[in-house]
Amino acid sequence: MRYRSVAVALTLAAGAGIAAFALASAARNSTAATASETHSYTALRTAWGDPDFQGVWRYEAVIALERPARFAGREFLTDAEIAQAEQTEKDQEAKRLAGVEGEAVGRQSVAASPIRGNEYNSFWQDHGRPRKVYKQTSLITDPRDGRIPYTPDAQKADARAAARYGVGPYESYLDPDTGERCLTDGVTGMMWQGPNGGHNQIVQSPGYVTILHEEYRDRRIIPVDGRPHGKIRQWFGDSVGHWAGDTLVVDTTNFVDKTNYEWASIWTRPSETLHLVERFKRTDADTLEYTITVEDPQTFVKAWTAVIPISKIPDGTQIYEYACHEGNYAMPNLLSGARANAVKSAARK
Amino acid sequence: MPTRFRSALIIVVAAVAVAGAVWAQVRSTSRQSDAYQPARTADGKPDLSGVWQALNTANYDIQSHPARPALALIPAPPRTGVAGLVRATPSDLPAPAVRGLGAVGGVPAGEGVVDGDEIPYQPWAAAKKKENFEHWLERDPEIKCFMPGVPRATYMPYPFQILQSTDNILIAYEFAGTTRTIHMNKVGNNPSASWMGLSRGRWEGDTLVVDVTDFNDQTWFDRAGNFHSDALHIVERYTAVSPYHLMYEVTVEDPKVFTRPWKMRMPLYRRAEKDKRILEYKCVEFVEEAMYGQLGIVDPATGHVNR
Repeated sequence: MRYRSVAVALTLAAGAGIAAFALASAARNSTAATASETHSYTALRTAWGDPDFQGVWRYEAVIALERPARFAGREFLTDAEIAQAEQTEKDQEAKRLAGVEGEAVGRQSVAASPIRGNEYNSFWQDHGRPRKVYKQTSLITDPRDGRIPYTPDAQKADARAAARYGVGPYESYLDPDTGERCLTDGVTGMMWQGPNGGHNQIVQSPGYVTILHEEYRDRRIIPVDGRPHGKIRQWFGDSVGHWAGDTLVVDTTNFVDKTNYEWASIWTRPSETLHLVERFKRTDADTLEYTITVEDPQTFVKAWTAVIPISKIPDGTQIYEYACHEGNYAMPNLLSGARANAVKSAARK
Repeated sequence: MPTRFRSALIIVVAAVAVAGAVWAQVRSTSRQSDAYQPARTADGKPDLSGVWQALNTANYDIQSHPARPALALIPAPPRTGVAGLVRATPSDLPAPAVRGLGAVGGVPAGEGVVDGDEIPYQPWAAAKKKENFEHWLERDPEIKCFMPGVPRATYMPYPFQILQSTDNILIAYEFAGTTRTIHMNKVGNNPSASWMGLSRGRWEGDTLVVDVTDFNDQTWFDRAGNFHSDALHIVERYTAVSPYHLMYEVTVEDPKVFTRPWKMRMPLYRRAEKDKRILEYKCVEFVEEAMYGQLGIVDPATGHVNR
């Protein structure tokens, strides 16, 4: 788990968490249909006639990105599994509310964490509202096995990243992952990742859709005015959008190569050959069906697609300032701790 | 031509010329007093959207300042040399950390943007401002890629974009990827102090007025050490004065630091390039070496083990 002890963000995240709990109405029907099963929604429009996606959105489902081994060969849960998953969510929600379970949305449990003292981190994460159980067994719908089609090299990089995560070694500021350095966790997972601030505020203005992601204050200003791609390589690439009916299609290229850095998840790292296509479709007032197709021969043997249901947070919810770097006391502490350990183990020899 | 007729003609011509001049004067005066009519959004508000940038030296120093060799200066040491030689008086020199930059690291002169060019500091605060100036290299939050606060974000040498929706107006700054949400509807206070503050907007005629509170005490007004406390209260006024200009006025109030409210004002200019967009300036990775290079086991800048 992250060492990112961000004083300001911590306070704000705690505040947001409390607000989110307060907003969680007594009994939400936690079984949601797959988003595409809903047909009756009439698109809201902005004052200038575009489909209106404005508001604060957050991924609140329990679906894993990659299909867990126990569901191998199956795209959907059985009724019995759905019932069991719902019961688990109810139990965990009760535990979270009681403060006895450190598990946060989308993250491994305290017991499974490689880091001792992970309970500390859990308290300032946003545990959100009760998570929604869906039928699908993975967010990835293509390839059919629900797994990321890594190249052999990327598979190794992924194993290496998993082994290092929260463990180190930490010789310099280059060794923590991009998130611990307060840079970003990458654009590919931005819409549905972020236990420390996974809220996304969408603001539309004529010719633009802007997405503000609370964690790292990641921001995307997406022109939807027919302009061509720009020429400058960036961490978040160069995005241009267009409306295909009521669906916003965003095409992003011109990523800068940051594969030399440590990434918590290899599949979010940008390289010069990354090409991302996103589709945003509001299937009902409270659900955004968000589809990504990720193509990058440097990391994947073929393109993969994930369909992600994202939930609308009630009107009036704000996202707050995420002062990560400004309060990154963890970085000097991590480095000086690693130095002290190195000195100690040298003395022991 | 008879003399009398010629005189009359001259008088008539002169009268017509005078009348014409007066008419032109009247017309031009009345034109000036007519406020510029900005383009409107779908809901009839002035359309302030676009990419804008200040073109002044306020980020160096919001007060009038002469040019100087560098942002960080050290006094020249006394010279020892040939005994009895008359020498030029040494002036301040660039500090070692910025010396190699030469003319690129110099500070351009500039007229102040503060009304009356005076900042009404309380005596202790005037002393602290001076100290900040002298310790600029260690203290200016801009150097560390921290969020710049308000109003400094406006007049940093980076563009920003106004994205105008109905309930919210975003100001997306290029520096450090910082964004402000201006809430046009009722909003509760921040749960804690913040770098960019909490912005509440309203329209006064065709002027967007933004009331900003809930600040921490970590940001500065410029590279000259002008500062504030967590009691800072900012009121900004954005008015379109042509298709290519906004007039920007700021009232600064902070009873812990200043003896009275004071004002800044400056034009902001539209970045008129086709398809102009705000680019990334993710400066965190640019400052890690300066902030953390010496703390690790190995310094990436040297590749050697730190001592």
